[in-house]
Amino acid sequence: MYKIMMFEGGVYKFNELKELIEDIGGFILQESVMQTETMLHLAFPEEEERVIRDKIKDLGGKFKELPLAGAEIVIIVPSLGKHHAVDPACDIAEFFRRKGAITNMLGLARGVGQRIAQMTAQEREIIEEFDAAVFVFGCFKECIEEKVRLCAMLDVPYMVVGGPSDLAVDHYVGGIGRKTDRMRRKGEIDILDDMTAELGKIVDDRRREIEEDPLAASPLFIKDMIEMVIPPKAGEELPIIIRLDGLRVNIEKEDLGRIREVEIGKKKLSEICDLKKSLFKGYLLKIRTEAVTGSIY
Amino acid sequence: MEVKVEGGDEFANASYEKICMSTFRDVGVRSSLDLVYMYCNPKEHVFIVAVKIGRVASPIKVGDITHREGETLRITNETYAPKLLALLWEMYGERVQQISRLEIGFKLEEKEVDELKELVVYDPREDLVARILDGIDRIIPEGARVRSTIPSTGRLTIIASENPIGDDWRIKAEELVSAYV
Repeated sequence: MYKIMMFEGGVYKFNELKELIEDIGGFILQESVMQTETMLHLAFPEEEERVIRDKIKDLGGKFKELPLAGAEIVIIVPSLGKHHAVDPACDIAEFFRRKGAITNMLGLARGVGQRIAQMTAQEREIIEEFDAAVFVFGCFKECIEEKVRLCAMLDVPYMVVGGPSDLAVDHYVGGIGRKTDRMRRKGEIDILDDMTAELGKIVDDRRREIEEDPLAASPLFIKDMIEMVIPPKAGEELPIIIRLDGLRVNIEKEDLGRIREVEIGKKKLSEICDLKKSLFKGYLLKIRTEAVTGSIY
Repeated sequence: MEVKVEGGDEFANASYEKICMSTFRDVGVRSSLDLVYMYCNPKEHVFIVAVKIGRVASPIKVGDITHREGETLRITNETYAPKLLALLWEMYGERVQQISRLEIGFKLEEKEVDELKELVVYDPREDLVARILDGIDRIIPEGARVRSTIPSTGRLTIIASENPIGDDWRIKAEELVSAYV
């Protein structure tokens, strides 16, 4: 299993780190060089962590764990009106991003109110495309208890964020509720940290589930193979997003044929992945399990 | 401005107190309100907001926000600049021109300049009620779209719910509000 971490440091002997990652079979997910400062998102086999840590110590850089890396999260608010956006949904999204997640925000069309709150079939399908969903509700206990029924019908791990601190709801984090300004005080940041830790548990559970019946190939490896055939265009941001059990690929329709033919070991991509058009953005690649496809080597 | 929130649990009351404070500050009516009272009943999904209107700021005149420098006026408070320019152009047409961001040139007679200084650029009373209503709309939960008002002088009361509002709630609202506001 791969571990994803972030390196921050100077450019001094920075290439040695990149070479080391390639030598041990790791990947560079994101690279940004700003004058003398560099930032790298690295993925490497878990057992090689000591080697990487030692190298980073030699280079005098910083090393940060990204517990949510490799997960695509959707943050759901009852509406995108001034009552629910931008606070606190953007603070929540920002905290998830700091821990490595790719975040998206979704405002329900008819999610407001208590009795009248609804979720359309299309919204449900979009939410189920993501690795995990985070519902941001308001301040009232009665309201949250009633609205949790919207989440219960989902076939995707979810977390609920709301106001009251004690509520008998699974994966619930309280203390947030409705906000009209940014969450920047110490107590509020502690709550956001708790919330990230709770989501980390959900993501880890899902990772363990996938590990029990391993995928034919790691999404990180498939991303590298796709980029060899279809290199990312200049200035394009995140053309390939890594998910827990696959990838989201933002490509043109005419490149679909080329992507199906990408060689992953001895097999073609279309043999080990289910490819479907996303209702939200691009195409979704769901990697089949090794038990179904057989070994790719 | 004093804010009192009742009916919800401790967390909800404290949150809505903050929401009331910052929302009325955002819409610029905080100094014009004496008291805000909010009653929340999430169980029956009924929310009541009542505000007591206090002293309203006096009208802003051209002389208050500009400073004369010969044949030009220098804007000292940019907040009202768009309203000021619109007013001057409507009154004097091409005889008034914006030279730079904060400078307005004019070709007027001395008598007209004296009159100009007394022109009212903005009267806070004009749109006070509209701004208070906008604030209340932002405070009340978005799902509570059925609204009912209780008319009275110097006070604004709105009952909101996602269900039809019956007379019992109107009577209760009147009782609750008259005890505080």
